[in-house]
Amino acid sequence: MNGNHRSIRARWLWRFGVLGTVGFSVLAVATRAPAGQSAHGTAASQMAQSVVVAAQAEPRIEITKHKFSRPTLTVPAGTTVTWLNRDEDVHTVVSTTQAFKSAGLETDEAYSYKFAKPGVYEYFCTLHPLMTGKVIVK
Amino acid sequence: MNDDSTYARDADGPEVSDGDGVDRRGFLQCMAWAGTGLVWTAAGGILSSRALGPASAEESALGFSFVQISDTHIGFKGEANKDALGTFEQAIARIKALDPAPSFIVHTGDITHTQKAGAFDTVTEALKGTKAERVFYIPGENDVFADGGKEYLGRFGGPAGTGWQSFDYKGVHFIGLINVLNFKAGGLGSLGQAQLDWLKKDVERLTSSTPVVVFAHVPLWAVYPKWGWVTDDGGQALSYLKRFGSVTVLNGHIHQIMQKVEGNISFHTALSTAFPQPAPGVGEGPGPVKVPAEQLRSVLGLREVNYVQGKTPLAVVDSTLA
Repeated sequence: MNGNHRSIRARWLWRFGVLGTVGFSVLAVATRAPAGQSAHGTAASQMAQSVVVAAQAEPRIEITKHKFSRPTLTVPAGTTVTWLNRDEDVHTVVSTTQAFKSAGLETDEAYSYKFAKPGVYEYFCTLHPLMTGKVIVK
Repeated sequence: MNDDSTYARDADGPEVSDGDGVDRRGFLQCMAWAGTGLVWTAAGGILSSRALGPASAEESALGFSFVQISDTHIGFKGEANKDALGTFEQAIARIKALDPAPSFIVHTGDITHTQKAGAFDTVTEALKGTKAERVFYIPGENDVFADGGKEYLGRFGGPAGTGWQSFDYKGVHFIGLINVLNFKAGGLGSLGQAQLDWLKKDVERLTSSTPVVVFAHVPLWAVYPKWGWVTDDGGQALSYLKRFGSVTVLNGHIHQIMQKVEGNISFHTALSTAFPQPAPGVGEGPGPVKVPAEQLRSVLGLREVNYVQGKTPLAVVDSTLA
C-alpha cells in the first residue's frame, strides 16, 4: 500500500476548515468511495480522481492526553482519515503492519492517510505504545 | 559537609530490609522533592544524601562524582516551557560550576524532543563545554522513534554498536541499558532478550561487593504501568543484580523525582531540564504540565552522585534550577 500520507503543520488549515480538500497535493484530495465498493484503484487511478472534492467532512481523530478520540473508527473504502495531535507530547500514528507511518506529530500537527482497501488497520503511537487504535475499512 | 544534614530522617520503617548489616537510612534521606538540593554520596556501596554543596576534602581525595542529566527534550517548544533551551543551558551552567568537576556525565535520554536536525549536536556541544572527562548517552523514545535508533546508535552506540554498554570507574561498575527500542503496540518499555543475555554475562565476573550503578531511560521498576512508566522485562534484569550489596538504578522519562528501595537496590527517577509531568495517576494522562512561570525552575533540575571509596553510601543529590 503506498502512502497517501501527509504530515503538515495544520493549525491554520483546521482553523479555516480546509480539511484536506484544498491546498494539499493531489494525492491527498479525498474521493469517497460508496460504501460496500471495494477499492481496487491504483495510486494512478486515485490521482485521476483527484479533481473531485469531498462533499463531506472527513473523519478526524484527535489525540489528547495520550488517547485517540476514536480508538475504533469504521469508514468506507476510499476514506481519508486525519489524526490531529492536541498534546504537547510528540506522537506518531503507525500501522502495526507498517502499512502507513506518520512522522512525529508535534502540537497541532496532523497526519492523513487514505484507506483504499477494505480491512482492519491497527495502529499505535511508537513513542507511547499503550496508545492504540484501529480503523475498520468496509 | 555533613552527610546527614537537611534531609535526615530516622526511618526504620518496613522498607528498610534487615539482617545484612547494611544501613539504608541514607537512601531514605534522599527524598529530594522539587525545590530542594540534595547530594547523594556512596560509601560502602550505598548512596546517602547530603545538602548540595562542595565535597569534603576526604571525598575529593578518595572518591569521585558524576552528574545525571535527563530529558533535555531539545526542540520542545510547548506551553509547558517556551524556553526549554534556556533551562537546558542553565543546567549546563550548573554542571560547569560544580567543584570538583564531575568525572563524567550520564544523559538518561530524551536528549531531543523529535530528533530534528541539530538537536543532538546542541546537547553534545554543550556537554563538551563541561570539565567532565566523558559523557554517556542513553536514548529515550523521543531519540529513536523517527529512525529506529539509527542516528542515536551511529553517534553513541559504543564499540558493539548496540547502545547498551558498561564500564568500570574507580571500583564502581556502571551499566547503561536501552529500553526504548522496538516498542510494540500495546507494549511497554522493553530491554529484549539479547540485552538481557548481555547483562547477565556482563555482571557474572563481578564480586558481589562491587557497587553497581545502572542507567536506563524508562524506569526499570513499576512506577505506573497504566501510563507506560515501567519496563516489562525490568524484573529479569534486576534479578541478575540482586546478589550485589549496592545497586543504584537511575532513570529518567517521568520528569520527576521518585525513589524506591527494594532489597539492596535503590531506584531513582530524575527531573527533566525541559518540563515537568504529572505525578503518577494524577489527571487524565502523562505529558507536559504547565506550571506558573515563577515555579517552573523549581520542577526542573539535575542530579549529582558522589562516590566515596570505603565509606558507606554512594550519595545522590538532586538539585533544581530554582
